[in-house]
Amino acid sequence: MSLAWLIRRLLLMAYTVIVVSILVFAITQILPADAAQSLLGENATPEALAALRAKLGLGDPAWLQYAHWASHVVTGDFGVSMCTSQPVGPEMLAALSRSLLVAVSSILLTLAVAVPLGVVAALRQGKFTDTGVSLVAYLGVSLPEFVTATLLALLLADTLHLLPATGYVSPLEDFIGGVRHLALPVLTVSVILIAHVMRMMRSETLDVLKSDYIRAARLKGLPERTVLFRHALRNALLPVVTIIALDVGYLLGGIIVIEEIFAIPGIGRALMVAITARDLPSIQAGALIMAATYVLTNTLADMAYALLDPRIRYD
Amino acid sequence: MTELLTRLIRKPQGFVGLSLLALVALACLFGPALAPYAPEKINFLGRFRAPGWQNWLGADQFGRDIFSRLMVGARSTVPMALIATFAGSAVGAIIGVGSAYFGGRADEAIMRTNDAVMAIPGLLMALLLVSTLGNGAGNAAIAIAIAFAPGMARVTRSVALNVRNQDYVKAAIARGEGALWIIFREMLPNVMAPIVIESTIRVSFAVMLFATLSFLGVGAQPPASEWGLMVADARQYMYQAPWALIAPSVAIAVAAIAFNLIGDGLRDALNPKDER
Amino acid sequence: MTAALSIRNYSLDYVTSAGPVRVLHDISLEIAPGEVLGLVGESGSGKSSLAWALMRHLPANAREVEGSLQLGNVDLQRLGPRELTRIRGRRLGMVFQDPSTSLNPTLAIGSQITEALIRHRDLKPRDADALAIELLGHVDLNNPAAIMRRYPHEISGGEKQRVVIATAFGCRPDVILFDEPTTALDVITGARILELFARLRQETGVAALYISHDLALVTRVADRVAVLKRGRLVEQAPAAEIFRAPRHSDTQALVAAVPRPEHRLVHDSPGDDVLLTASDIEVHYGNPGLFRRAPPAATKKIGLNVRAGEILGLVGESGSGKSSMARALTGLAHFSGRISFDNQVIHGARDMNAAYRRDVQIVFQHPDSSLNPRHRIDEILSRPLKLYGGSLPDIPRLLDQVRLPSSYAGRWPHQLSGGEKQRVAIARAFAARPKLVICDEITAPLDVSVQAQIIELLLALRAETGTAFVFITHDLNLIRQIAHRIGVMRRGEMVDLLPVEDFDANHIHSYTRELMAASPVPVG
Repeated sequence: MSLAWLIRRLLLMAYTVIVVSILVFAITQILPADAAQSLLGENATPEALAALRAKLGLGDPAWLQYAHWASHVVTGDFGVSMCTSQPVGPEMLAALSRSLLVAVSSILLTLAVAVPLGVVAALRQGKFTDTGVSLVAYLGVSLPEFVTATLLALLLADTLHLLPATGYVSPLEDFIGGVRHLALPVLTVSVILIAHVMRMMRSETLDVLKSDYIRAARLKGLPERTVLFRHALRNALLPVVTIIALDVGYLLGGIIVIEEIFAIPGIGRALMVAITARDLPSIQAGALIMAATYVLTNTLADMAYALLDPRIRYD
Repeated sequence: MTELLTRLIRKPQGFVGLSLLALVALACLFGPALAPYAPEKINFLGRFRAPGWQNWLGADQFGRDIFSRLMVGARSTVPMALIATFAGSAVGAIIGVGSAYFGGRADEAIMRTNDAVMAIPGLLMALLLVSTLGNGAGNAAIAIAIAFAPGMARVTRSVALNVRNQDYVKAAIARGEGALWIIFREMLPNVMAPIVIESTIRVSFAVMLFATLSFLGVGAQPPASEWGLMVADARQYMYQAPWALIAPSVAIAVAAIAFNLIGDGLRDALNPKDER
Repeated sequence: MTAALSIRNYSLDYVTSAGPVRVLHDISLEIAPGEVLGLVGESGSGKSSLAWALMRHLPANAREVEGSLQLGNVDLQRLGPRELTRIRGRRLGMVFQDPSTSLNPTLAIGSQITEALIRHRDLKPRDADALAIELLGHVDLNNPAAIMRRYPHEISGGEKQRVVIATAFGCRPDVILFDEPTTALDVITGARILELFARLRQETGVAALYISHDLALVTRVADRVAVLKRGRLVEQAPAAEIFRAPRHSDTQALVAAVPRPEHRLVHDSPGDDVLLTASDIEVHYGNPGLFRRAPPAATKKIGLNVRAGEILGLVGESGSGKSSMARALTGLAHFSGRISFDNQVIHGARDMNAAYRRDVQIVFQHPDSSLNPRHRIDEILSRPLKLYGGSLPDIPRLLDQVRLPSSYAGRWPHQLSGGEKQRVAIARAFAARPKLVICDEITAPLDVSVQAQIIELLLALRAETGTAFVFITHDLNLIRQIAHRIGVMRRGEMVDLLPVEDFDANHIHSYTRELMAASPVPVG
């Protein structure tokens, strides 16, 4: 890929992050008629309200408030939590690292299961395997995360007593314990991801199998094995990178619910706590970090795809 | 319209989807009449009763009849999702068609910004909005509508661009037809079909998102018997009364699957070229 | 001597929801070793189905009812999957219609050739590479070693087809099936491919089944020609005879429909009144994006004029800018320059008033997309009537004018055939009683016989109304039959603008000469 393309892509990423930050800030701080009131609740004293307004700079025009906040964020200073009075940035980033553990494990599990299943379903289109796989995928996509989480917890924790229902143990300290605690959350998130990726892989593979160049390869007298592996699968697997990147969005939404249910101290949980406690700086930091992660993932996926697909060389 | 329904029923997805939707619609329209008990009726003697003669789907920790709550809760779950999807689609469609119509730099700027808004995952966006607007079913619906709009804008724009490039639109422009005629009589009828299909599938996401928000405590508030709330309630007692958990979960799944299947079925049924 | 390919009493059905449909009735054909048999048929004739049947690549709903297919002494229908992969490519090769989709876009070209060579000629990879380079050079590709490393999207359509042909010939099969190999290519590129085919065939002595819808082209390429109509073989004859002395009525109709420049269809001359003059027209596409610059202009300051009642032809290959001119003249594309019409000077679409839009009409190329699929025929025809004066009762008359039954008014576009849709589009244009109708490649997607009918219709309408035409096409033979003057365009420039009689003269441009040489004039 050309340097110009790369620069354009990075500029786009920067623009996206800026828009996201404006949006997050606007929704949380500008939109409420009186942010101080909604933060402190109905029983706040007028002095407390005034103090908070001054502290947050709520009297300033909107763009000035944003500029003030943004200038700090750019240097890594997300402010101080209104609940714990600790700096928000390091807290959130630590929480993010724990969430990433769940996220990455889920993605790896999804790749290992959904990609082969999707391809096999396409190869056996119309037959029993395909119908079975498609039905299961349908179901997976039609259940919200909290339902899947609760049902899986019911089955594996409460009924079969295989795994702990909630809680978190760092795998760095206790590997087996850590894995046991992470198993349910990872499984739950993976159910939806697997269903989704499986359907997309199936449809991708079907498209490739119907293409003219696969027909041409077969009619050239190449053995079926060669046609499948050298030609079909190669092209069907190309968009996996893009599909996974799209699913990171699902993942991030699901993480919030999953961490709530299984009490994992990740960024989703931190966000929910902040929202309930109306801790403005934490909400802003958490939301921005989550969205920025998504944008970064997408940009990286685009670049990876451009490297892999020879058709995308210039723009 | 009847022709559309018949074609929809002929496909297996359409048939199953419509059947499931009929069940859901039945619950929404006649729920309270079908419920044998009042949904808030507490009955301490019947706590955690297993499904049986007295409580068809069992009772929860307060002895409230699950089946009745489910029937009445349909009204709290599904219509809001429909409204949210409709509103989101309408806003998204306007943005999308407008962007396609203007084209050029304006189109690119609008779409890049649209994509940036989509970079905030749906649930996160909804949570942020609800935390600002305040908890409650109505605000949750508004939040969902806003979260859906950018995605619909993208879909609408790509469909509108495709239609805009067709020769029959060019023929209309060459004839000197006015912009309003072109947009409403030439483009819109051809844009509607894909939009309807996409929206229908989105309703299933809206149902799930709405239930999730209620589950997290920011959507419908107790004592409403919204299905997501029911699952949240039932979690604490899932050992004693698993039916209190399973029933609303299945209900949510049925509603989501119904709209998903109908959307898929519509994809085939709305294609005028099929009957030749 | 055993025939290279022998088809005996072969019948094929497709099972549809409405019951089995017979696509091939009792076909018997033979190709001797080294012989080229041309198979000609219009759409729906079943010619492609025969090719797929031979390659054993029929769709799942195909039923072979009777007959035998023999490649030499191998019964094709009895082959199992393993044996099939040994026959395909090695003894029976195939060259497809669209080269841009028959190569894998993510694999280098070299590897797509060598995989076939390794498989069928038992070579080691290094030897296969060397042979591949030799083969590519042999099909007149420049710098074969570099092409080996490139990807399909980096070379042109003509080059890709040469790669496919090189691969097919390189495996040294007994028979090669050619499924319309030049249809997707430009006229001149296609002619070069035909020359290549003739040379390779001479050198290798391979037998071939050459399938095409173009009878004129096939007679130049084949030894014998077989004509298929609706799944039935109506005639077989040596190529030299079939044009000169077609025996079956269907063949005769086909022959009569082929455009021949010496068969002039228009015998009058237009007056001197100039209807429209266009000068310095430069058509601009594409708006600059936020980061990109706008693409270069599609036409480079083109000028032309049309006289009242005249037929002006515009000929060129794809990318020549001829369609861009059509769009500029109807306000569908941004342009700079001047158009003067009816004492009005027009600098852009905004200057085109209602009178201009009524007097200048356009008919588009693709019948499927030029009629709104969600409007019935009567609604489609009612629009120009409403805009330009006329009333709904005129609709039956409009349909009658284009030889369609008035009952069609209540139908949907998808219920009409391609030719019928084009007629509706013509009716729509004529509803305005225009002075000039621009036809943008309107017969390109149609069968030759349907094309002949449409041309006849247009000429009849012209006789009735005295309308002038700008007729855009890539078929030089066709336009020489009907135009008074012809403009030849190439890469956005008008290289020649001549009266039709002057097309044999010496002073024509070299490109025009090339185009004439490449347009297949039938043998006989």
